[in-house]
Amino acid sequence: MNSTEPAILEVRDLVTHYPVRRSLADAVRGRPRRSAHAVDGISFDLRAGELLALVGESGCGKTTTAQSLLRMVEPTSGTIRLDGRDITHLSQRRLRPLRRTMQLVYQDPYESLDPRFRARQTVAEPMLVHGIGSRRADRRGLVDELLERVGLTPPELYADRYPHEMSGGQRQRLAIAASLVLSPRLLVTDEPVSMLDVSVRAGVLELLDGLRRESAMAVLMITHDLSTAAHFADEIAVMYFGRIVERGPARELVRNPRHPYTKALLSVVPARDPRRRAVPRILQGEAPDPANVPTGCRFASRCPSVTDACRLVDPALDDVSGSPGHEVACIRSEELASDSAGKVVTT
Amino acid sequence: MHGSVYLARKVGLAAGTVFVAITLNFILFRAAPGDAVSNLSRVPHASPQLKEALRHEFGLDQSKWAQYLLYLKELAHGNLGISFADQQPVSHDLATALGNTVPMVLLGTVIAILFGVFTGTVAAWRRGGITDQVNTNVAIAFYSFPTQWLGLMLLILFAGVLPTSGMTDEFAIDPSWWAHLQDVLKHMILPSATMALTLYGEYTLIARSAMLETLSEDYILTARAKGLSNARIVRRHAFRNALLPTTTMVALSLGYVVGGAILIETVFSWPGIGRAVYQAVLQRDYPMLQGAFLVLTLSVVVFNLIADLLYFKLDPRVTE
Repeated sequence: MNSTEPAILEVRDLVTHYPVRRSLADAVRGRPRRSAHAVDGISFDLRAGELLALVGESGCGKTTTAQSLLRMVEPTSGTIRLDGRDITHLSQRRLRPLRRTMQLVYQDPYESLDPRFRARQTVAEPMLVHGIGSRRADRRGLVDELLERVGLTPPELYADRYPHEMSGGQRQRLAIAASLVLSPRLLVTDEPVSMLDVSVRAGVLELLDGLRRESAMAVLMITHDLSTAAHFADEIAVMYFGRIVERGPARELVRNPRHPYTKALLSVVPARDPRRRAVPRILQGEAPDPANVPTGCRFASRCPSVTDACRLVDPALDDVSGSPGHEVACIRSEELASDSAGKVVTT
Repeated sequence: MHGSVYLARKVGLAAGTVFVAITLNFILFRAAPGDAVSNLSRVPHASPQLKEALRHEFGLDQSKWAQYLLYLKELAHGNLGISFADQQPVSHDLATALGNTVPMVLLGTVIAILFGVFTGTVAAWRRGGITDQVNTNVAIAFYSFPTQWLGLMLLILFAGVLPTSGMTDEFAIDPSWWAHLQDVLKHMILPSATMALTLYGEYTLIARSAMLETLSEDYILTARAKGLSNARIVRRHAFRNALLPTTTMVALSLGYVVGGAILIETVFSWPGIGRAVYQAVLQRDYPMLQGAFLVLTLSVVVFNLIADLLYFKLDPRVTE
């Protein structure tokens, strides 16, 4: 990772709140309008060719983060810079031409493709919209080339198929092809393989990995699977309840997790050697109500190492000493560093 | 399933439905209290001989089974019997009535569909906003108004401005075909408008919910992420996919339109099938009713079949 190179995507203190409907009774009593804190102040950079994995459980704000970055959901505050240009407050109309540079691959390839569009039309439509390939033959050639690139070969076999005539893996490859047609600089993938059969996951992930290497695309991969993240990502950011609680180079983070939440996530990843049985740390307790954020550490209600101080201090993301690029938001991280229970992954 | 197999199955199913309907139609009128002859011979103190003669003439002295077979046989030849009221063949009366009903109903329905789908689409696109609120609530209001009440209101409002009764000006002497056409169209305005107003609300709601459903699909988000303009998203992705449930629902509801015209035709004295049914009920004209019911049933079955075929045509997944 070359940190002198300017970032393609710079996110600073991104906050996205969803308004919660106030009941009439509450409105009459003069209670304030509340909001659910889906994303609550996250920052990161993403450079060309880099793959950042955003890991976390369902409902922690991963998808909202992705959608806010692309302005599919309006962020409440913070800044998003794409190639140095602030896009946080651009109107949707002015954003449209910029959509070429940032593309999104959705979780569910059964839903994200228009059922009435053949593969060729799905791939060709963005070209028409953004004026790529003025002649029909050019567009045709480009569609074939892309289908081939994502592994739908031979292209003439797939070009005239409808999504329902394809398997899940093939559909996801098609969705990727439709994103690549615009040669984006940034690709955001929201759980790209979670809806796919285990047998085709590796193929799709390797495709994404290969694409970012050959075209220097920055990839933000959202996943709840730490082992996938560890395998493919350069850097991992662990999200909990709207915040990044730990971030670092993928290998380092997996080998030396510092946050109790990361440790818990890693403890449930099965070891490669079935004889090595680690005791999974099943988290007790409930995640807080997103409309009612507690003071102190957000993980306190479920943390196995919680102390009274944790409930008072909201920890900031700080550097881990002796481990460059590794940051953690836990006041007890130094104390707990000797705790080895989290080291179950033997990569 | 192969396309032609799908088609054959649907047509077969429709034919079966018609057969069952015919049979029920037969049973229904035999089960009604009093037999046809007691209605036919309304002359007080009709002699037993006369009754017996009539019974024989109409085949009512035969067994029910034989009557049923005879009914089927005559039906197969297009014979619906003779109207008690005017001694004309029922098929002739029905054909005339249907010929009067169809243009009026068609005009009203086409307007209702176009207006309903348009307002529904707009409401869905602006969901939650004032445009949606107004469109949806007005649609619900018109959907809930009783047809005859709406008809009477229009009649009161436009009496004197537009013709309110019948299909032609009774006093026009030997009009040219052009004058006649204009005359009929003028008479058609109020009943067709009533029809359009009572129907459009339902289509608004159908189109709106179909659009809302498609607009929440991931491929709409995908389209937005690809930088498509709103107009293109609505036209190319949302509307085309919403059209599928809308078309089938509309086709299904069209089956009831012919029957629904009964109230409108009665209010505006339109000499169509609805009015024919109404008068047949008043006059206990059983053959006429039997024939009219058959036509109404057929229209429901035919439009169901059309809905299925449209589905077949519109959804690439059905052809599999």
